[in-house]
Amino acid sequence: MKNLLKAIKISIFCLIALFIFEDEAIAQECNFRLSGIIYDGTNQQILAGATVSILGTDKIAITNKSGLYRFSKLCAGTYRIKITHVGCVPLEANLVVNSADLTNQSFNLLHSTEQLSEVLVSSKYDSDVNSIKSSLTVEEMQKLKGGTLGEMLKQLSGVSVLQTGSTVFKPVIHGLHSQRVLILNNGVRQEGQQWGAEHAPEIDPLVASRLTVIKGAGALRYGSDAIGGAVLVEPRSLDIDTGLRVELNSIYSSNNRMGLFNSIIEQGIKTKNSAWAWRSHLTYKRGGNARTPDYWLHNTGVQELNYSLHAGYQRDNTKADIYFSAFNTKIGIFWGAHIGNLTDLENAIKNKTPLFNIDEFDYQIGRPSQEVSHYLIKAKLTQELSKYRRINFVLSHQENFRKEFDRALIDNNPELDLNLGTTTADINFETDRFSNTNQQFGFTVQRQANVWSGSRFFLPNYTNLLLGLYGIRKWDSNDLQFEAGLRYDYRSLEVFRNQNGQNFQIDRQFNNLSSSFAINYVPNNNVSWLNNFSLAWRPPHVNELYVNGLHHGTANFEIGDPSLNSEISLKYTSQLNYQWNKDTYFDLTLYTNYIQNFINLVPVLPATLTLRGAFPTFQFKQADALLSGSDFTFNTALNQSISYRLKASVLIPRNLESRSWLQQMPAPQIDQEISWYFSPGKKGNYISTNALWVARQRFIPDNFIDYLAPPGEYLLFNLNFATDLRLMKTPVSLGASVFNLFNVRYRDYMNRFRYFSDEVGTNVVIRLKINI
Amino acid sequence: MLKKYIIGMWCIALSVSAISCKKASMANNESEHQAINRIEMLFKQGGTTVSTIVAEDPDGDGGNPPSRIDNINLDINKIYDVEVKFFNISNGVTKDLSSTILQQAKQHEVYFIISGLTLPVEKKDKDDNGFPIGLISQWKTGNAVGKGTVLLKLMHKPLVKGANDDPNKGHSDIAINYTLNVK
Repeated sequence: MKNLLKAIKISIFCLIALFIFEDEAIAQECNFRLSGIIYDGTNQQILAGATVSILGTDKIAITNKSGLYRFSKLCAGTYRIKITHVGCVPLEANLVVNSADLTNQSFNLLHSTEQLSEVLVSSKYDSDVNSIKSSLTVEEMQKLKGGTLGEMLKQLSGVSVLQTGSTVFKPVIHGLHSQRVLILNNGVRQEGQQWGAEHAPEIDPLVASRLTVIKGAGALRYGSDAIGGAVLVEPRSLDIDTGLRVELNSIYSSNNRMGLFNSIIEQGIKTKNSAWAWRSHLTYKRGGNARTPDYWLHNTGVQELNYSLHAGYQRDNTKADIYFSAFNTKIGIFWGAHIGNLTDLENAIKNKTPLFNIDEFDYQIGRPSQEVSHYLIKAKLTQELSKYRRINFVLSHQENFRKEFDRALIDNNPELDLNLGTTTADINFETDRFSNTNQQFGFTVQRQANVWSGSRFFLPNYTNLLLGLYGIRKWDSNDLQFEAGLRYDYRSLEVFRNQNGQNFQIDRQFNNLSSSFAINYVPNNNVSWLNNFSLAWRPPHVNELYVNGLHHGTANFEIGDPSLNSEISLKYTSQLNYQWNKDTYFDLTLYTNYIQNFINLVPVLPATLTLRGAFPTFQFKQADALLSGSDFTFNTALNQSISYRLKASVLIPRNLESRSWLQQMPAPQIDQEISWYFSPGKKGNYISTNALWVARQRFIPDNFIDYLAPPGEYLLFNLNFATDLRLMKTPVSLGASVFNLFNVRYRDYMNRFRYFSDEVGTNVVIRLKINI
Repeated sequence: MLKKYIIGMWCIALSVSAISCKKASMANNESEHQAINRIEMLFKQGGTTVSTIVAEDPDGDGGNPPSRIDNINLDINKIYDVEVKFFNISNGVTKDLSSTILQQAKQHEVYFIISGLTLPVEKKDKDDNGFPIGLISQWKTGNAVGKGTVLLKLMHKPLVKGANDDPNKGHSDIAINYTLNVK
């Protein structure tokens, strides 16, 4: 009987396959439904929690406890669908949906223990569907290549950047940044000097094939302190079926005359019962001074050399991979922003153009500047213990070197030299059964040591020991999917000080319990309503506790407060997604984040008096805050080749204690785009234009001593073009973009150098990608 | 099987604490080491120093405010040759940074901004481009008794220094306000 059923299924599949080659006509009716059951190919038991996605669309269905998946409102046509399930070999198949209004198609998935999988190292580290996230599409990734990680991520609604001049970009998620945003580089928590507002993430975005932002504390597995959210930098999967593949990227930016070269070489090798694959990546870029519409910005050059090597091996039930990456950059800090004291700052603000500048192009990077290196080595071992249980073990070490060059009076050494070393071991145990549950729990131990040298104290030496224990469980019942997570963290901090030759040590311990709960309501395939509640704790960072010094490049004197307590964030996020058809959908995210003991840098009196003059003084203080806001995306197609997209975001940053607003929060913005796809069906061939409008920030603290009021609103136009070609049978992607098309003169509230200069003017970027 | 793995991984996890041990406990002295933390203004008459005005901040920027800023007391109707000296004193070692500033004279200029009374100051030294430096200057007091202030500024302005720069050009390495008494 079973065999008969199987034979019928195979026949249906073959018939459908025949249809695919017979008829590709597209009907305009979009009322068709598709459903079926996903089975485990080895024992024919049903598979719950399998993901069925229609490639090239946003449609995704998760099988329920009966193994059933459903899609509705499909247009007639041929679809390629992909089915994935934890521990199974992903399956792709072509399907025709036409005439009949219900297409029934079931599939068998083979378990990966039965056969070598196609994918050695999965590109997805966060497999949960229940966190509120958004990713850049392949086209967006290609369009933004050449920019920094922060510049790329700000294309996502709800994400903005905190800038320091034209060279340093930090991602800001729902108004929060730095220590409150966790960055996962290939599954490893990036441990750099993220506390500094002018410290950009030490990651080359070109290692990633996918960039995802999780809005809110949805990444419990990786830590509880990311109360703002997480950024996932995910390289492409290491595939054993790849053969030898070479990708070359070359990018030129006109504004700062930046050239970038990038190569990716990968290969998969399969033998009878084992397989391995490797990939290497290399990026070199060099740019000179940037230019505003009216003048060059002296000493704003950038140099970068990044490389990585990833290799994976599989035999029987064991998978292992090792990843090494290096990031090296040298960044110039704009001369005109290098001020000695408050008087210099006031003078700089008074002048419409920078007082201290050389209005010429130059590639040279002099003082002040930053030199940053980050090295990561990671080894991962996955052992299948049985068909549905596996254990993952990840060991990683990171070394971060940061040198800040300010002013050489005695020698040429950096004024501030920081070295942060972090070793992490993570054990994760996962089970997924036929039933409708999936669970994982794990244990993390991390040891960190920071050592400073140089002639200017800013951040003391410290060691940090972190122990984390977490458990996450997912289950579903009909239209509802649930996820609950709990995490406990113990952090022991030892700080070593030396004041005028007097050595002393300060010890602090933090115990934090974090949790998250999500309900996703999916009544049909048009609507999904995801609700996420999270409670997260962030212990104060060393700089917030013990900083004492002048901040590089700003005229701020910053003072820490050793008595600070952990921040506690209680966040509710709701995401409603409604999809009329393939191209028309909206996505509305509403959030409210109550943060008790929000740590904030507030101005205090009197100013700090030094032999260099007076400096405005800021101290880290705590206040309860409420950050509420909304992100909205709407997409529609006017016809087969023209589409329109709108993205908007607004944030209301309330300081509950002072009954006023929080400073340095992103202003509301609206981004509209019209795209013309000139060869139908090919997403890679288009011309688009977008208009970005950013409002003047009106939510500013009442009695805040800011040197300059927030700049006015601005409207920027950008132009993009991309096409896929074949040059002598080699696939080539050619792209061009014009940013700030009309050379608009503007300043942005989120740029810390808005006191000193305008933002950069028109920038023409040309991109070439060759696949060999 | 499972037991073997868990034990093995535990061992590696526990050894983590031993891997990344750096000498964090050997902390650097937090007092600023390379900044100018002592300034002397030598007021001379006929080659003889008649008064040394000291400004000092031993622990550098922050921490304690400058511990000493002397008043400048001058006599009426006198010509003073003034020499400004910059020092770094760290761990008991005194480094004279005036020579460094002189070496980098094309990047530096000293200003004396006097308010409250009239006191002409003429800079006597010039860099290789013929632009004023201000480490050596001549002050002429008038016949009026009075009180005022002197703002001493050392401006750093590599590549942009000119002949008659505004005192605000560049960025301030030093900015000290002295009380001035002319008796």
